Amino acid sequence: MSTLLRIAMAAMLLLSTSCMKWDYGLEESFDTSASGEGLFICNEGNFQYGNATLSYYDPATKTVQNEVFFRANAMKLGDVAQSMVIRNGIGWVIVNNSHVVFAIDINTFKEVGRITDLTSPRYIHFISDEKAYITQIWDNRIFIVNPKRYEITGYIEVPNMTMESGSTEQMVQYGKYLYVNCWSYQNRIIKIDTETDEVIDELTVGIQPTSLVMDCNNKLWTVTDGGYEGSPYGHEAPSLYRIDAETFTIEQQYKFDFGDWPSEVQLNGAKDTIYWLNDDVWAMDVTADRVPVRPFLPYNGTLYYGLTVCPRTGDVYVADAIDYVQQGMVYRYSSSGELIDEFYVGIIPGAFCWK
Amino acid sequence: MKRLLSILFALTLLPSAALAQDEMPKDWLHSGVNIREVAVYGNRPMKEIGIQQTKLDSIVLKENIALSMADILTFNTSIFVKSYGRATLSTVSFRGTSPSHTQVTWNGMRINNPMLGMTDFSMIPSYFIDDASLLHGTSSVNETGGGLGGAIKMSTAPAENRGFGLQYIQGIGSFKTFDEFLRLTYGDDHWQVSTRAVLSTSANDYKYRNHDKKENIYDENMNIVDQYYPVERNRSGSFRDLHILQEVYYNTGRGDKLGLNAWFLSSNRELPMLTTDYSNEASFDNRQREETFRGILSWEHLRSSWKMAVRAGYIHTWMAYDYKRDVGNGTMAHMTRSRSKVNTIYAQAEGEYYIGKRWLITANIAAHQHFVESRDKNIILQQGGNGIVGYRKARIELSGSASVKWKPVDGVGISAVVREEMYGDEFSPIIPALFVDGVISKRGNVVAKASVSRNYRFPTLNDLYFLPGGNPDLRKESGWTYDAGLSFAVGGSGIYSLSGSATWFDSYIHDWILWLPTTKGFFSPKNIKDVHAYGVEVQANLDVALSKEWLLKLNGTYSWTPSINEGEPISAADQSVGKQLPYVPKHSSSITGRLSWRSWSLLYKWCYYSERFTMSSNDISLTGKLPEYFMNNITLEKGFSMRWADLTLKGTINNLFNEEYLSVLSHPMPGINFEIFIGITPKW
Repeated sequence: MSTLLRIAMAAMLLLSTSCMKWDYGLEESFDTSASGEGLFICNEGNFQYGNATLSYYDPATKTVQNEVFFRANAMKLGDVAQSMVIRNGIGWVIVNNSHVVFAIDINTFKEVGRITDLTSPRYIHFISDEKAYITQIWDNRIFIVNPKRYEITGYIEVPNMTMESGSTEQMVQYGKYLYVNCWSYQNRIIKIDTETDEVIDELTVGIQPTSLVMDCNNKLWTVTDGGYEGSPYGHEAPSLYRIDAETFTIEQQYKFDFGDWPSEVQLNGAKDTIYWLNDDVWAMDVTADRVPVRPFLPYNGTLYYGLTVCPRTGDVYVADAIDYVQQGMVYRYSSSGELIDEFYVGIIPGAFCWK
Repeated sequence: MKRLLSILFALTLLPSAALAQDEMPKDWLHSGVNIREVAVYGNRPMKEIGIQQTKLDSIVLKENIALSMADILTFNTSIFVKSYGRATLSTVSFRGTSPSHTQVTWNGMRINNPMLGMTDFSMIPSYFIDDASLLHGTSSVNETGGGLGGAIKMSTAPAENRGFGLQYIQGIGSFKTFDEFLRLTYGDDHWQVSTRAVLSTSANDYKYRNHDKKENIYDENMNIVDQYYPVERNRSGSFRDLHILQEVYYNTGRGDKLGLNAWFLSSNRELPMLTTDYSNEASFDNRQREETFRGILSWEHLRSSWKMAVRAGYIHTWMAYDYKRDVGNGTMAHMTRSRSKVNTIYAQAEGEYYIGKRWLITANIAAHQHFVESRDKNIILQQGGNGIVGYRKARIELSGSASVKWKPVDGVGISAVVREEMYGDEFSPIIPALFVDGVISKRGNVVAKASVSRNYRFPTLNDLYFLPGGNPDLRKESGWTYDAGLSFAVGGSGIYSLSGSATWFDSYIHDWILWLPTTKGFFSPKNIKDVHAYGVEVQANLDVALSKEWLLKLNGTYSWTPSINEGEPISAADQSVGKQLPYVPKHSSSITGRLSWRSWSLLYKWCYYSERFTMSSNDISLTGKLPEYFMNNITLEKGFSMRWADLTLKGTINNLFNEEYLSVLSHPMPGINFEIFIGITPKW
């Protein structure tokens, strides 16, 4: 019996010798200061899994480095990387469900600071070195922060918006005024006086304007997604809008077909051509009266998730999130629509930022 | 066959052929080494012809009051349990399938959430379950449709006590955890009445090293001068779960049994923060609450050659999810306020008819009528006023089956089942299943069995109607499953018993439903994948009587479950075809060993999961690693029998080697933790 006991005990000990191989990362040194332009790609990752990543692409050498935030800092970027902005050599990466904005050195990718305890941050816009706005979803306030001190200094309350249906998105500045599209269960662009930090006006557009840019003629462009079937807020054909920033009035509305899903309005470097996604990739002169008949790049069987245009060369980059649980692919096309390069990045590449 | 106090060996094999009708005595620890009978093939119920089944007996289920069915399945079966933390959502992957491919019944009534399709096993206290069995793959067709992975059948049973009985157990554990269990019973020749209650509360604020995050130390100019990985506590993880179960059974003694089961649960759980969350814990309140009532009335009418049973039931579930933010001065404003209500009316009738000793005919029909209301968001409408994003739907789900079971000769059984389902106004095609088994060798009780079935799973109500994203055009998932296996059992003369089984399975699932993001910022389900899930399940049991007072029981499982995406590439860049599904381990294994001596008992539990991929392409990135892990738990128990009461004292150590591990990315799991239980059963 004792032999049996000993065997049993030994077996149990054997089973217990183990350890999960889960340890800290290693900090890697990067220095991309020598290269000219560079493209950051924010890969959202899967909601609640904290697997957002940052990729860096060098268009000159056609090389991509993935997970650069993790590799440079030996920590994760977080949950749902939403957007990135660069100012004075610092990249500000908004990580939505981690409630944080990281400030990183754009050449070494090393963190230099962070703004924490945000509600659900989406985009950041700098008013000055010491003042920036951060828009939120599920909050009726735009957060005012001091980027030098990484502090929240105040809030801009948006009228007629509750926390639950709160949604402020992309920001474009015209003089001392800032325009913000309100997207989720909203239908308006709001106007903020950046001196008083107050919403002073708003303009009703269609249902759920998703993005906002300003062209070379100081015209704002936004595109609505039209809501969805069954939404109590309504469901309509989406539209592209050209809005005069000075008078804050709609100059032109370009209607899409009911059921279309346009998104991601972007500008080229000269800001005289707008691009957007609607199954295909579309391009249009900012002075055009109607949407072109043919797309810039025809639909190739996959739903594009992100879009950007190189401000220098006019190359067009589109992101394919594939099945949203694998490394997405970015395709790079010349301004005439020829495929130049393709490279895998992280999970759900959604936003780009040019160095 | 030796009877009580002789050492016998039982087989908790896949072919539960081995498990005879007699259950272990409820309190075997105090009864000495008192064991159920060995079963031989010939004694096996005809209802179980060709069935691949894993039975969990009451020793396993009643291990301690703090455990949920998620814990039991983790350590005692080949099922993979995906857990988001302690007392948080725990779903199962049976044979490499998704959580909604496992159908779950409680006393015959299906308890999968009709909105989500899945079952949260962390919400089922194992002390409330008296019998549980896993019906693997095809075998689930005997019980219900839609179990593309299989079905888990749980039930309660009369305590079989006479007079009044009381049992009270209290547990005190790490992280300010308190568990209490009370059971009152009364029994006589006809009546069995039982009331059980479990209350579990915990701050659940375990410490863990956060590998995913660093804290910054700044100088006065806000330059980072140092960084460190924090040792954090599990933030926002507290819970309070109360369950009450009332049972009344009446046995006429003339072949009629009536039963009432009523289970009420009230749960209030915070949702733990991710490892990569940089918010202040006090700034947010993220909480899920549930109140569910499940009640069943049953009547069984037994005669020598036939049996009839009728059941009626009702489920009410109220679920609330609140995500709040401190907007200043301690005012918590709702970011999300979601409510859902489910009312289900259930009715079932079944009959069995024996024609001689060689034929059995069964028929079964079950109806579940769901009424669902989902209110997920309050918004301000365009025209002003408030609106609610959500849906309200009703759906009837009918499932009926008939089977013929035949033993042409001793040692060979054939069973044919046909099932038909109707969800809403849509019928499934006929679901056929065929089972055969036969004794290959009487020496060693070697039994071979094989089965094949077609199966369908209808989309859940959220799949169809959730706003935004619900897709009413979804097709039902469909699949073919093939099973073949061998089992054996040797021993029986009072020294040892060894039994084992190996089963190969192969299933093809078409039109697998997946929720994918859209460009509009929400998810929407599509029939997107074809999956080939196959593999091998092995199980072995060894019971050894080391002497009259020593008993060693070992139980081991191993499964190899490739679950491969065999669909078409979604786009040219798609690297997922031919790859293992994310979050399904290829290898998993568990071993439990119980050594008992007189009134002492030592239990050792071990489980292993191989690396799980977090990407469909099976790429392993630095941020997406979920390495393999082993878990070891140990429990020591001592029983004291006094004139006035039986007492038990139990100490348990979970995660014995203080392993750092993850079941899901960014959701930390607890390190080593302890709990002590004191139980008292007065004698009067």
